[in-house]
Amino acid sequence: MNSYPPELLAQLAPVMFVAGLDAPVAPSPSSAPSTTPLSLPSTSPPSASVSVSPPISTAGAQAKPTDAFTLLTLRLREALLSQRKPAIWNPEKSKSFQVILVDREVRFPPRKLVPPEDPAYGSAHSPLSPLTPTSPLHPDGLIAPIWIRKHTTLLPSVFVLFMKIFEYPPSSTRNPLDGPDTEREMEERKRDSELAADVALRKKSTNERGIKLTVVLMASRKMLDDPTLDARLTYIRRQSGLDSRAALFVLSPVSQAELGDFVKSLQQALYEPALEYYTAHSKRVRRKRNRHSQAASTYPTPPATLTSLNIARPLRPEGWTVRYEYKMACFAEFRGEDEVALKHYQDAYGQLIIMFGSTAILPPRTKRWAEAKVLADCMNVKVIKLYLYNNEHALALSHHNTHMRKFGDFSRGWGIGEETFEYWSWMARQQRILAELLEQGTRSTLVIPKHQPAASASNINLAASQQLLPSQRVAAGMELESLRSLGINPSQALQHPGFYYYMAARCTEIRRERFLAALELEHSQQPVALSPGFTNEKKVEHLNIILELYTKSYELFKKYNPAASQNQGRLTLWIAYRIAQTYYDSGKFDMAVRFFERIAKTYRREKWDSMLRPLLSTWYACAQQLGDVELSIRLLVEMLGHDIPEPEEAGSLEEDLLAVLKSTVPSTDEPLVVDFSESQPIFDSYVAFWSSEVKVNEPAAFQLCLTAPASVIISSIPFSSLQIHFFDDEEPVVIHHAPSEAEPSTSASTSPSIQRVDLGTISTAVEPQEVQANLRWQPRSIVVFTGMMTSDVPAVLRVKKLVLTIEENAWKIEIPFDACGARQGSAPTARWLSSLDPPRFIPIKREDCSSVLVKHRPHNVSVSLNHQSPAYLDEDYPIDIEVTNLDTRELDVVVDVLLQPTEIDYAINSIRIGEERSSGLIKDVDFGVLASGATVVKTLHLINTGAPGDRLIDISVRSRSVSVSENVDEDEDEDILDIMESLQALVVPTVEAIKAIYEVAYRHNLKQWVGLADLQTFEPGYWDEGRGAEALVSVKIQCTGPRRLYIESMVLEHENTPSSRILDSSTDTDGDDVYPVEYFPGDELGAFSCVSILAEGEEVDHSTSTPGRYIVKWRRILKEGGHGPLSTSIFPLPQLRPPNDDLVALLNVPPTATLHSPISLDLIIRNYHSSRSANVTVQLEPDTFDGFVVAGLRSGRVPVLMPGGEEKLTWKLIPIECGYVRIPRLKVLDRRKAVAAAQGATEGVTGAEAIGELVKVVDVRRDERRISGKEGDEILESQGGPDTILVLP
Amino acid sequence: MPPSLRLNAVAFISPQNHPILIRTFSPQDDPIKYHYIAHTSLDVIEERVTSAGKSVECYLGLLYSMEDVAIYGYITPLRVKIVLALALSDAVVKDVEVTMIFKALHMAYYSAICNPFLKLEAANDTSSDISPFLLVGSPKWRKFRQRVDEISRVAGNATATTSAT
Repeated sequence: MNSYPPELLAQLAPVMFVAGLDAPVAPSPSSAPSTTPLSLPSTSPPSASVSVSPPISTAGAQAKPTDAFTLLTLRLREALLSQRKPAIWNPEKSKSFQVILVDREVRFPPRKLVPPEDPAYGSAHSPLSPLTPTSPLHPDGLIAPIWIRKHTTLLPSVFVLFMKIFEYPPSSTRNPLDGPDTEREMEERKRDSELAADVALRKKSTNERGIKLTVVLMASRKMLDDPTLDARLTYIRRQSGLDSRAALFVLSPVSQAELGDFVKSLQQALYEPALEYYTAHSKRVRRKRNRHSQAASTYPTPPATLTSLNIARPLRPEGWTVRYEYKMACFAEFRGEDEVALKHYQDAYGQLIIMFGSTAILPPRTKRWAEAKVLADCMNVKVIKLYLYNNEHALALSHHNTHMRKFGDFSRGWGIGEETFEYWSWMARQQRILAELLEQGTRSTLVIPKHQPAASASNINLAASQQLLPSQRVAAGMELESLRSLGINPSQALQHPGFYYYMAARCTEIRRERFLAALELEHSQQPVALSPGFTNEKKVEHLNIILELYTKSYELFKKYNPAASQNQGRLTLWIAYRIAQTYYDSGKFDMAVRFFERIAKTYRREKWDSMLRPLLSTWYACAQQLGDVELSIRLLVEMLGHDIPEPEEAGSLEEDLLAVLKSTVPSTDEPLVVDFSESQPIFDSYVAFWSSEVKVNEPAAFQLCLTAPASVIISSIPFSSLQIHFFDDEEPVVIHHAPSEAEPSTSASTSPSIQRVDLGTISTAVEPQEVQANLRWQPRSIVVFTGMMTSDVPAVLRVKKLVLTIEENAWKIEIPFDACGARQGSAPTARWLSSLDPPRFIPIKREDCSSVLVKHRPHNVSVSLNHQSPAYLDEDYPIDIEVTNLDTRELDVVVDVLLQPTEIDYAINSIRIGEERSSGLIKDVDFGVLASGATVVKTLHLINTGAPGDRLIDISVRSRSVSVSENVDEDEDEDILDIMESLQALVVPTVEAIKAIYEVAYRHNLKQWVGLADLQTFEPGYWDEGRGAEALVSVKIQCTGPRRLYIESMVLEHENTPSSRILDSSTDTDGDDVYPVEYFPGDELGAFSCVSILAEGEEVDHSTSTPGRYIVKWRRILKEGGHGPLSTSIFPLPQLRPPNDDLVALLNVPPTATLHSPISLDLIIRNYHSSRSANVTVQLEPDTFDGFVVAGLRSGRVPVLMPGGEEKLTWKLIPIECGYVRIPRLKVLDRRKAVAAAQGATEGVTGAEAIGELVKVVDVRRDERRISGKEGDEILESQGGPDTILVLP
Repeated sequence: MPPSLRLNAVAFISPQNHPILIRTFSPQDDPIKYHYIAHTSLDVIEERVTSAGKSVECYLGLLYSMEDVAIYGYITPLRVKIVLALALSDAVVKDVEVTMIFKALHMAYYSAICNPFLKLEAANDTSSDISPFLLVGSPKWRKFRQRVDEISRVAGNATATTSAT
């Protein structure tokens, strides 16, 4: 940008002149207080140049203490000047001005050279016009930067004049009651008139140029409150002829913030007049342009003779158009109308291109031509900038590209084509100015777009479908969008400025090339037409420029690549490489080396050797230049790892290396280590083991193969030895070079020679021996090192690393490298050399064949488990674990037993070995050290309860070789300790040995109920069995298991609960001779018990507990006849839940009677209901009297039964027949519903119910109820035949 | 006139950022230039991929343009990167066309690595499972190169025929 006049590039903004704010000078006592400043302007000589004139003392500055006003002045200057800084990139539209502080008597440049009074004034032109002979543009210049400067520094659009209003000094003696202070008024009027005259004079000069004048009067804060101020201001304005709007402000010393507001509002108010000013200019220029275009021929056309001479040729009509368009563009830019400015700039640019098109109009290499070129370049920048303001990146770049292409084409016509340095210099300048513009832009508002494809395929379809919408408006809007989504023009995709700096650097590089070529031509004294710029070009420091550009580009790439902030970005590395190259070209080798070092690190890591190769050779050249021998050697050795594309240079590296080694001596005695860990190795190498796994102390055969490269010759490099490191901390096997007698003289092209070197057996125990071999590699020749490795401990064997040593002339260079490596990225296939003559290889298709695993021999331990399946529940079930050492070694055996958690409900299991019990895991059961052939048996006890099913046991037998573990630390790895584990899983089916089957029947209790209020019922231990029930529990014990049992005892254990108690049990009465008894599978045993159960009440809950349990003690009868351990099975009584009753009539008759002797028939009516009383009637059916004579109630009402009450009715019967005689039928009716029916609630009451509900009559002889069904809700009543009595004669 | 897509170079880069194959079709340029371009474009590819997160598309669009080429990028689901250097011309490059070329290149690569004999050549230590894919670019396997060259030729030709009609 510095190569162009700044006036032509800067962003234009309205210009404001501010006068009267001179920086306060030290108060000079010499200044006369009475001097009026008005006399000065008239006497000052007319001068067009006014930028800074010495400040003069302001009026009234001495009238008051100036402190507040000085401060105000300083602050105002600061605030105004900071409004806008001249910049190239400033898209802001904040109505701010370019403020220039001037002297208050500043003169504007004259419009024309002749004074207006002169008669020639009408035909005269501006001093800058090409028509004015004294103008720098005379006769055919276009636009000079001075014209812009005139409008930016010499001519304002508004003029702001700061002045101080006169303030009469306050007198303390004055009484407010006095009359008008005439003296003061007089003084004020006088001063105001002076001020107004001053302003009026200024007004006259600004009016001439259509410039708005605004006066700001500075007054003290007190003055603002003065009632006379308004009148004074009006007076001043009238006198000075100021406009009524926005022409007079009053400002008092205020704070900084308020001052800012003032400056802002001042600019707001004056912006409009400023625009008007520039609009007026635009209009004037447009008028001139129109007139000119209509009457282009009126301008004098130069005589043909003059044209050929190229002198004093007046400006062509095209030139005038350029001039006018350019001016209009500038004025539009002043107004902030970017679109208008853009259009005019483009028009001007277009006209200029037309002018360049003809060498007649603009003859190349003239002054005007150069000026026009600068103008075109600057206009290009303006156009780009205005496009970018509007975010039209593609248009901006398109303009720039077109500009470069067009002028590139022109250049060819001008004889400065691509082969000249001028061309590239100009190209570089264009790229650079674009980069600089973008850089400035990105610092403020410009955002570099991302060129990610926004639209996937689906989006394109979407866009396409939307285009088909009927609405034209939508389609039009979409068109642009869809075009964009289809793709972008890469040359119009804006990128960050780093790219353009890079391009500028590249162009400059080419420029340098061209220049050097020209220089060479000059030296060779060839007659060549050297361009006029050639001598200048000789002074140019091309490399510095290139460096500067690359460095800028590098920084920008770094800034725009977020990934590069953490590690080196590849783009930045690429530019760094260019920088390094430039350093190399400019002879700064040390700098270049520093760069190369950093770059090579990444390139090596990414294995991008095609890029590394040229880098290394340049680096090597640097090292040569610097005389760094060690670095040279390092680089040469590294370069040996890279293929050389040109076959004729295959041996050059080797020669270089040998030359360096021979001609120099090392600085120290230490061997030089060239580490290859990151870069490519010289040899293709691999290690192959024959088998993947060997036992301890068993030899593992291996081959190590080194293949020399094909494209680089290393045959004469003096390798003195090769070290092969097998183990850590152990001495390597060293192979020394020994020239073989039969030097392979065969040409390398036929078949690569193969050499085989036997290394013998390698072990940690044996001292490695030294081997001799020929360590000279012909191209593609192979050396295979074969040998065996053994290890006495389990390990992974591999070749750790290889170290090649080159010895020559006191140099000793060690090159460590990996045993498995390849020049071209991927490792070569491992092959096993099976035969040397003819060479034959067996490919090894095994993963990880470069290492071998050494393992212990497995232990020979047999484990057997003995038990008598199935296991019984509640039994201590023994399982014998028998471990036999069948190995030749002594083994320490430890067993873990894990009882798997079972999924069977209610199953609770545990295991026991010796004294150790667990419900899960028993660890580390020591079986002791087993000598060879020894056997140890341990019994595992499994105790199963709850439910039958399979039980799972895992048994892990770990054996440890005693001999190894003695001399190895306990904390060592398991592999070293030689521990083996064998796992056994055991399934134990578990069944029930005996099974109990219960049956329960309930009956009513016949005991007479005690009265409701009987006091004894309240006793604590009172057992009210009457209202409860009795349960008869029968149990059937079955022997269900597959084996015989020996039952020792069976007892009912009483466990009286609050709600039930066992009355008696059959087991209590069994004699001693019953047990023990032997049971066969399928045998059964019965037992009975009777339980009294309380009626259900608040504190009685039948569900929780049972009144007792049967305990059966038994032993398993083993196969061999003995008895197993005593086992106990427990069978709790079932839960007893007697059915509930409501109203019950119990019929109690003796089962037998004697003829004619009376018996009694009792009917007990009980109300079991807890809260309802019962109204019951009883009828004796008359038709059944046949067998008996009945004495007693025939039909009647029973007294009301209270809840929990009973009533006993008795009849006397005399049997009069023998045999089974039916007893009289009794009908008991509950009248509850009948009563309700009688009272009128007849709905839903059937006829039968109207009489009453039948109450069940239960014969107590057959009183038995069973509960069945899943929920115990189904009650089975005992169904006997007709109720009869056996009457005996 | 429809824009002509002139392929200057094609680069295949492995998921571990090692070059697989770099083919240059412009005789006037030094092939090393396209090595550098392929290498540097990895920067932009990585940036695009990380910024896109999981929903990354294969086609990455214009990566950048430098000197006389425009660089386009493509990443396969298995992270093989394909970089295309198009000769810079002042015309809109349709994404559809570039995507088509990329897809053809992807298919060429895909069918090339299907070659079972590649595994035969590959090192048997599978710790670096990339090796067969790197081998595909070695001069030994001509088919892949031929296919890539064919695609380049067709891409240039297809536009030429359309311009003729």
